[in-house]
Amino acid sequence: MKRLIFKFRYYLFILPGLIFLGVFTYYPIIWATDLSFKRWNLLCPKPKFVGLENYIKLIHNDVFWLVLKNTAIFVTVSIFPTMFFAMVLAILIDERMKGRVYYIYSIFYPTLIPMAAAAMLWVYIYSPNLGILNILLAKIGLPKLGWLGSSKTSLWALIIMTFWKNLGFFMLIYLAGLQNISKDLYEAAYLDGAGWWKRHYKITFPLLGPTTLFVFITAIILTFRVFDQINLMTEGGPGNSSNVIVYYIFENGFKFIDMGIASALTTILVGVLLILVLIIFGIFGKRITYEME
Amino acid sequence: MKERKYEILLKSLTLHIVSFIMILPFVWLVSTALKSPEEVFTQHLTLLPKKFMWSNFPAIMKAAPFDIYLLNTVIVCAGILAIQLILVIPAAYAFARLNFPGKGFTFILFVIQIMLPLEAIIIPNYLIAKALGLLNTRIGLILPFVASGFGTFQLRQTFKQIPASLEDAARIDGAGHFRFIWYVLIPLSKPTIITFSLISIATHWNDYFWPLIITEVDRVRTLTIGLGMFLQQESGSDWTLLMAATLYVCLPIIVLFLILQRTFIKSFLTSGIKG
Repeated sequence: MKRLIFKFRYYLFILPGLIFLGVFTYYPIIWATDLSFKRWNLLCPKPKFVGLENYIKLIHNDVFWLVLKNTAIFVTVSIFPTMFFAMVLAILIDERMKGRVYYIYSIFYPTLIPMAAAAMLWVYIYSPNLGILNILLAKIGLPKLGWLGSSKTSLWALIIMTFWKNLGFFMLIYLAGLQNISKDLYEAAYLDGAGWWKRHYKITFPLLGPTTLFVFITAIILTFRVFDQINLMTEGGPGNSSNVIVYYIFENGFKFIDMGIASALTTILVGVLLILVLIIFGIFGKRITYEME
Repeated sequence: MKERKYEILLKSLTLHIVSFIMILPFVWLVSTALKSPEEVFTQHLTLLPKKFMWSNFPAIMKAAPFDIYLLNTVIVCAGILAIQLILVIPAAYAFARLNFPGKGFTFILFVIQIMLPLEAIIIPNYLIAKALGLLNTRIGLILPFVASGFGTFQLRQTFKQIPASLEDAARIDGAGHFRFIWYVLIPLSKPTIITFSLISIATHWNDYFWPLIITEVDRVRTLTIGLGMFLQQESGSDWTLLMAATLYVCLPIIVLFLILQRTFIKSFLTSGIKG
């Protein structure tokens, strides 16, 4: 017994963290999976086992599929342009010493302000009559757009706003990554006659690989969890046109008070996220463990 | 490396245009926050208000208890960071420098948490907070965020890079685990700890979803929730007051970063959030 305690004595260092992980991350996942097989809503105030009923209901619900489609659009359309522009801007800033802090701050500050505040600001920017966008459109003689109020544009308006909000964060991570690349490499390539594009294509892109992986994972997490701007700017509307998975979970759980359906959605989302983890570790596992050692 | 003239011009032009577009919304926010409602209604795009309406700020304080929201936000951010550091540093130390059975598996439990944000598991977390009596309490706003997989991962990377010879020297001098952490690891890992702390403060200053779910009274509400309530209350009728409130919510965090900007950018770029 004593030897067993001795063997596990170092758990004292990680136990406090593990307990909180257990209470607020892993136990909730188990609980949600359990609840996803139960009916628990206003009509059925006590959880009752119903097997796959919640999942079957979701599959036959058009809104569920629309939400999945919106989430897929939101995730892919925000991630790749943000990553590309962040990397290019970081390279440009890294090469320019003059005015560097000014560029960094004017691109990075949206990351610092709360999403709720950014949402408020953009509701104003998109506002049909007093918003700066429509005033500018009218000035150059183009028709005004509905932005948040139209089911055709609402999701895209949110994507643009999220791009503005996240760009600087990824730019800064890329800038940090660039500091690890020796400037001698560029000097050598320059002497060999390589132009700007070629230098970055052959040196920067490959050497930023680990940074790009980190940015990619962070971007996925950031976009899958979008909620604040949706809740404050469109409430998923009009007509669910900007409804995404986390907002849909919130709607089912706290507006329709259907914890069974909300739990089934949670289980699906967690499943997707865990599969993504497996894929990322599967493809990049070697590289990640190499980085970790 | 010599750059051609047009290359330099093209690069700084690109950066200037991008910076201008990015900063424009904020300029407009400040400008509107200081205008009168009548001036906003004219739809003229003037940068400087005709008359500076400093009274917009006392007006929002009267409309909603923004001072209580501010106090709550500061308490919650400080509480989260303090407990995070207490939990993260020993765990990162154990994962970086000690050997014990199940080390790999428990480390993966910490890392996977990075991929499972609270937003995704909001329903069961709400039920747990309810069961533990954490609804409408500040401690309830703090506890779900104190275990940080991200922080544990980052600090472990940094702790691993500290040479073993320093550890041997400390051991010979009779330092135990905690003395070694306190006198050697923490001072040597300052840039990473500062970066992590600033990211933590910025993240939790911005928290919206969790406080929205578990707070129902002004007494415990934070700034972001107060702002959201204010929007509903005003329902977009008076943009000057809404923008003044938005500015009030943004300013503390922006000022904090401006004061610490050198430390921040330096620690970020040197400690590096590396892939």
